[in-house]
Amino acid sequence: MGWYMAKRGLYAIPMMIVISFLTFILIHLSPMDPAEVVLEAQGVPQITPELIAQTKAELGMDRPFLIRYANWLIDCLQLDFGHSYVSGEPVWTLLGPAFLNTLQLTFASVIAVIALSVGLGVICALREGRLLDRSVRGVSFFLTSMPSYLLASLMIWYFAVKLDLLPTSGMASSASYVLPVVVIAVNYAGIYFRMIRSSMISQLHEDYVLYGRASGLSETTITMHMIRNSLQIAISVFCMAVPIILGSTVVVENVFAWPGLGSLSMHAILSRDFPVIQAYVLVMAVAFVLFNTVSDMVNAAMNPKLRGDL
Amino acid sequence: MRKSWFTLIAGCMVLAVMLGGCSGTQAGSKEATNEAAHETPQESPQELVYAAAKDLIDMNPHVYAGSNSAQGMVYESLVEHTEEGIKPLLAESWEISGDGKSYTFHLRKDVNFHDGEPFNAEAVKLNIDAVQRNAKKHAWIKLSTKLTDVLVIDTHTVELVLSEPYYPTLNELSFTRPYVFVSPRNFIDGETKDGLNGYSGTGPYKLVEHKVDQQAVFEANEAYWGGSPAIKKITGKVLPAGETTFLALQKGEVNFVFTDDRGTDSIDVDAMTNLTDAGDYQIVRSKPMNTKMIVANSSQTNSPVHERAVRQAIWQAIDRETISKQIFSGTEPAAYTLFSSNVKYADVDLPQRGYDPEAARKLLEEAGWKLANGQEVRTKNGSKLTMKLYYDANSSSQKTQAEFIQHELKEIGMRLELVGEESTSVAKRRSAGDYELLFNQTWGLAYDPQSTIAAFTSESSYLHTTKGIARADELYDKIADVTVSMDETTRKSLYADILNIVHEEAVFIPLTNGGVTIVAPQSLQGIGFKQTQYELPFEKMNFNP
Repeated sequence: MGWYMAKRGLYAIPMMIVISFLTFILIHLSPMDPAEVVLEAQGVPQITPELIAQTKAELGMDRPFLIRYANWLIDCLQLDFGHSYVSGEPVWTLLGPAFLNTLQLTFASVIAVIALSVGLGVICALREGRLLDRSVRGVSFFLTSMPSYLLASLMIWYFAVKLDLLPTSGMASSASYVLPVVVIAVNYAGIYFRMIRSSMISQLHEDYVLYGRASGLSETTITMHMIRNSLQIAISVFCMAVPIILGSTVVVENVFAWPGLGSLSMHAILSRDFPVIQAYVLVMAVAFVLFNTVSDMVNAAMNPKLRGDL
Repeated sequence: MRKSWFTLIAGCMVLAVMLGGCSGTQAGSKEATNEAAHETPQESPQELVYAAAKDLIDMNPHVYAGSNSAQGMVYESLVEHTEEGIKPLLAESWEISGDGKSYTFHLRKDVNFHDGEPFNAEAVKLNIDAVQRNAKKHAWIKLSTKLTDVLVIDTHTVELVLSEPYYPTLNELSFTRPYVFVSPRNFIDGETKDGLNGYSGTGPYKLVEHKVDQQAVFEANEAYWGGSPAIKKITGKVLPAGETTFLALQKGEVNFVFTDDRGTDSIDVDAMTNLTDAGDYQIVRSKPMNTKMIVANSSQTNSPVHERAVRQAIWQAIDRETISKQIFSGTEPAAYTLFSSNVKYADVDLPQRGYDPEAARKLLEEAGWKLANGQEVRTKNGSKLTMKLYYDANSSSQKTQAEFIQHELKEIGMRLELVGEESTSVAKRRSAGDYELLFNQTWGLAYDPQSTIAAFTSESSYLHTTKGIARADELYDKIADVTVSMDETTRKSLYADILNIVHEEAVFIPLTNGGVTIVAPQSLQGIGFKQTQYELPFEKMNFNP
């Protein structure tokens, strides 16, 4: 397993170089002069040609494209991700806390998504075609198709203002997690529970269920076996949900004033804050590789047939 | 098999506990501040919690990335711009030499920075020198190009030497940046341009906490030379979404909202009215602070916008009263001149030019733009009367105005294509001259008219706008003369001429006058404004006992 992880880690390195190079190219394809965009983002009221030239020299933008990329890469290997063009602060002091904030929100949401999807998926499968199944699917369809900012605003209005149970926004206490987690969970669980439900239904017709019943096993024991078998497909999907949610919290973070990656990356992209964008892309790439690996390992732990491949 | 299940469950539990622990400690350390922020506005409203659309970013007042309003609480300048003109602030008095090239300031003697360092002539020199070493970033402030030396005369006297007389010197020294003072102990290697290691100013509030993208807390400076402010604590909470701000106001998590730095109201007019109707809040509006306008690029020689008649026709085809009433719900009055009459030197008699679509049609007819039968768009020598109007895609009010104006111009036989772009891209078009019409605004009371007018000659601002008019050279000469003129009467007459030229040429087509709107608790008194739309005098506010 250790060797496997090391191998995965090594595979990830060239991938990250390619990803960062692509980002580098994409940013520089923009028709606007990067030095000018940086000065705009710094709020400089009047941008003169001399100032643009000075800024280019300061930020090394006057050097050839490949040299700039190579310099950036060398600094990165020394764990120096540079300073934000806008605020001048080291990138990690901006990205680090934001990443942790979004990661906490993501983990809490993924746990809620798993609990909700597995719970609803199993119940609906066992009550397939009955009123409960149909109404759960109907409600989830309705909620999933609702834009998350609308759902978020309605929930803030009802739970925070009207009932005065929770804070409207921010991340000052554990109660602050409730509303954003519910909004994310409702959005994703609506998709994932259908997957659990259909794989549970397909398990219902498997021979082992019939044999189990015939040999007098209790319904609970049979259901537990079914859940475990259905989960195997779902595990990798759930693992990949972590980086997916991690990278798609912009709207929820905006409404709930969550100081996370979503808002940070949005601002960085709009102001072409190149060092922050590059570091953000690297972090996301690492997250995808990492959780992909985790999903393989969990699958292997649950299914001995897969272990030979590792 | 059983073992792997056990491992999985145990793994999940460890993860959950770690997560709980993580958020628990976080919550533990932050709960105290949260409770304070949450309860105080409702129960004993002795502190203000305001909503800010974005983080304050950087408290360094010698560069421009940070929030003006936050910096305005912490730092002070030598003089202050008030409705009655320039008044003393950190300088008690000053003398201007006969040739207008030397300004001697006598500093207050009872001022210390927040970190205890004394404020004196040496501190003034260190600060202004640090700003000047980064002069290229301050090109917009013409004083930065004329200031040659700062001389320490004695502990509390300092002299500023200029290369030529420049009458707006005091004005420009009153701005929130860059000529404000930071404790020299906060400099890094004697410089301020690459950051500071602390943010000690001399102002009425000190920054005591800053959590990026969450909140900034300011406490009253008890040793403030002007007396300790009545409101002891001000918290700026970052709330990017307007709907959340409105709900947080309703709940009492924030109790103060004002028009942000970029001139956008974070909560809309109807929502504000709802709040005041409930009785807990009041709305206070400032006098006009700036003018929102359409800028016409006179130097686009192959476009109809190059013609004065076309620009004047656009001016007359726009019904500003409807824009003011319908789009801004009456919060922004209609504007008919580039500067409102409360701007210094701008109370000038200009020919009336209001909403008159018939006159607009006549102007176009006379200029040769004819409307063929059955056609919607006028033509002249085979070319159509079509232009592009660029607006900031993130501003909903600009988009609505653009659509309204498009409809009105259609009525006089002109076609407007609307192009929504990111604000940086619109700014880029302005400096490159790559536009026909675009939305813009004047800089604000303290900066108008001198800074906006100086920008008429600057390539990155309005050079392309003004370059194509018939009297461009005359205009530029007058602008060059006005800043060095030492005589008030000459200055007045030069400004009157400048304003007459741009009014006649209709290169700046005014729409409405913008200002600052404040939503505050009913019990808050002493709410006032400064001479800019960027800062508020919090130190003058207090709560009803």
